[in-house]
Amino acid sequence: MIGLLLCLPAALVLGVGFVWPVALLARISLNRTTDMGAMEEALSLETMAKLVEDDFTWELAWNTATLSATCGAIAVALALPVALLIRSAPPQWRGLLSLMAVAPLLVSSTARVVGWMAILGDRGMINAMLAFAGLTDDPVRLINNWTGVRIGLTESLMPYACLVLIAGLGRLDSRLEEAAATLGATRTRTFLRVTLPLAAPALAAAFLLVFVLGVSAFVTPRLMGGGRVFVVATEIFDLALETVDWPAAAAMAMLLLGSLALAMALRAVVARVPR
Amino acid sequence: MRILAYAAAAFLAASPALAQGGGRVTLQAYAGIFKDNYTQTVLAPFTTASGTAVQYFEGGTSAQMLGTLRAQRADPQIDVVIMDVTTAAIACAEGLVERIDAATLPVIAELDDQARSSGGACGPAVTYDHLVMVYDTRAVTPAPTRWAAMWDPAHRGRIALSSPPNIQGLAITAILAHANGGSWQNLNAAMPRLREIAPAVQTFDPNPDGYTLILNDQVRFATGWNARAQLYRDQSQGRIGVVLPEEGTVFQINTINIVANSRNRAQALALAAHALSADAQKAFTERMFYGPTNSRAQVSPEAMARTALAPEFRNRVIPLDWNEMVRLRDGWNQRWRREVIAASGR
Repeated sequence: MIGLLLCLPAALVLGVGFVWPVALLARISLNRTTDMGAMEEALSLETMAKLVEDDFTWELAWNTATLSATCGAIAVALALPVALLIRSAPPQWRGLLSLMAVAPLLVSSTARVVGWMAILGDRGMINAMLAFAGLTDDPVRLINNWTGVRIGLTESLMPYACLVLIAGLGRLDSRLEEAAATLGATRTRTFLRVTLPLAAPALAAAFLLVFVLGVSAFVTPRLMGGGRVFVVATEIFDLALETVDWPAAAAMAMLLLGSLALAMALRAVVARVPR
Repeated sequence: MRILAYAAAAFLAASPALAQGGGRVTLQAYAGIFKDNYTQTVLAPFTTASGTAVQYFEGGTSAQMLGTLRAQRADPQIDVVIMDVTTAAIACAEGLVERIDAATLPVIAELDDQARSSGGACGPAVTYDHLVMVYDTRAVTPAPTRWAAMWDPAHRGRIALSSPPNIQGLAITAILAHANGGSWQNLNAAMPRLREIAPAVQTFDPNPDGYTLILNDQVRFATGWNARAQLYRDQSQGRIGVVLPEEGTVFQINTINIVANSRNRAQALALAAHALSADAQKAFTERMFYGPTNSRAQVSPEAMARTALAPEFRNRVIPLDWNEMVRLRDGWNQRWRREVIAASGR
């Protein structure tokens, strides 16, 4: 009973800040938009059906899923050595190193993207260096395309992956690795046969977190995509704020939410399957 | 004596707030330089004359303003709203703003035909703006006169061109359709030109805007709205060049509307009457180069020359119907994505 009461404030915040807005979105998604763009009150799945029948919706879903999966996987792969380094560091350094690993989270995502624009732009730092070295005549296109979005999104997801892996790897029993070494395993073999399998749950949790964050990422695809990168989040923005088609924007948001919920549920089911 | 009484009655009818005296009114309109200049040239004189305080609520984009109106439908906190004509048409259709005519707002009779008709049954046009080509005067010489200058291979990779559903993307598409096919609705006539320029475009989503990208030396050409472009030209001491190209332009129209069930309706009508008056229109045009909608506004020739209403530019304005554009928009958007952006190959 006391436990339930203690949960009440969080439940209230969640209810007001998440459940109520999502319920509103669900209601708006059942409205219709006229040819003139006006929103008509209705209780219809027409808007949702239109989206589902539109090939572009599936293209968006594919773009979003592949972008998040690619960037999520790279972010986790890059974060793993960092987390391992922190784990093996002397205890007095671990706090500082952990702080450094997640420091990018202290800077707003928009500011970080603006920084990337200065670095990757056609007349940015990298292209200036390449031109100075005489390696290129024309600028290498590193931004305003998918390449730029992948770079920016991977960078923005990496601190989250670090955070999860640092916590996950910190719980590994280092005596198991010592035992493997004692039995003659090389460092590589110990890593592949002992550390990595033990770290698998943390790696999976890190990937799931950054994948979900990647799916809902908006700032990076919008600012670094140059209008060439279409994902679900940018489409929701366009529908809500450019074409003012709220029912379609709400319906797409509900589809995204439903897909993510389904993915999480599937993961939970798979995790319970005995091996 | 009777004539004086009639004159006083007519004056008070045309100025409801003066009749009511004092009070306050809340205006929702654009932020930034629009707010600064509108407050100084239009709102401050209104407050001085009427005693009505104006609370300026920064509404963001027109779409965001519409969102605020929708959210406040049951209990409006805003009395007057200035927003883009297409979004205002949605607000009108949803009953969020009042239907209004010259009987309610006599100053409407002073407006030009387009200003009266563009708001439909609701509020009339309060400003005209138009699409312009902006360019880097340091890098582009001689000064370009046609949109076609952006197609010059010398500027490959240095073009910022907004794509639909952004309104500038729709506007440039309509202009190219008109220039190449005789009708702004003829999308097929615009597509070859758009596919041709696509590989030269650095970004189809200029952030934060084309003017800034030019000033940061990222691009040489972009599209923009005349009023802001003219101000940026002045602020940049001529670094940004502004041209109304020979192929033509289209108006972006802002309308002024009275919010339905406004708490301060009399003051709201008075503010709208003042905003549409010849004096206020003249003052705002001379400050910010939006075209006046009141045909009696005596704007200085220098300021008028920087709007699309200058005699030499009037015949370049393509008569685009934004309500029809709303119906065409989705189809244009899809073709842009599949044929133009896909062809940009960056």
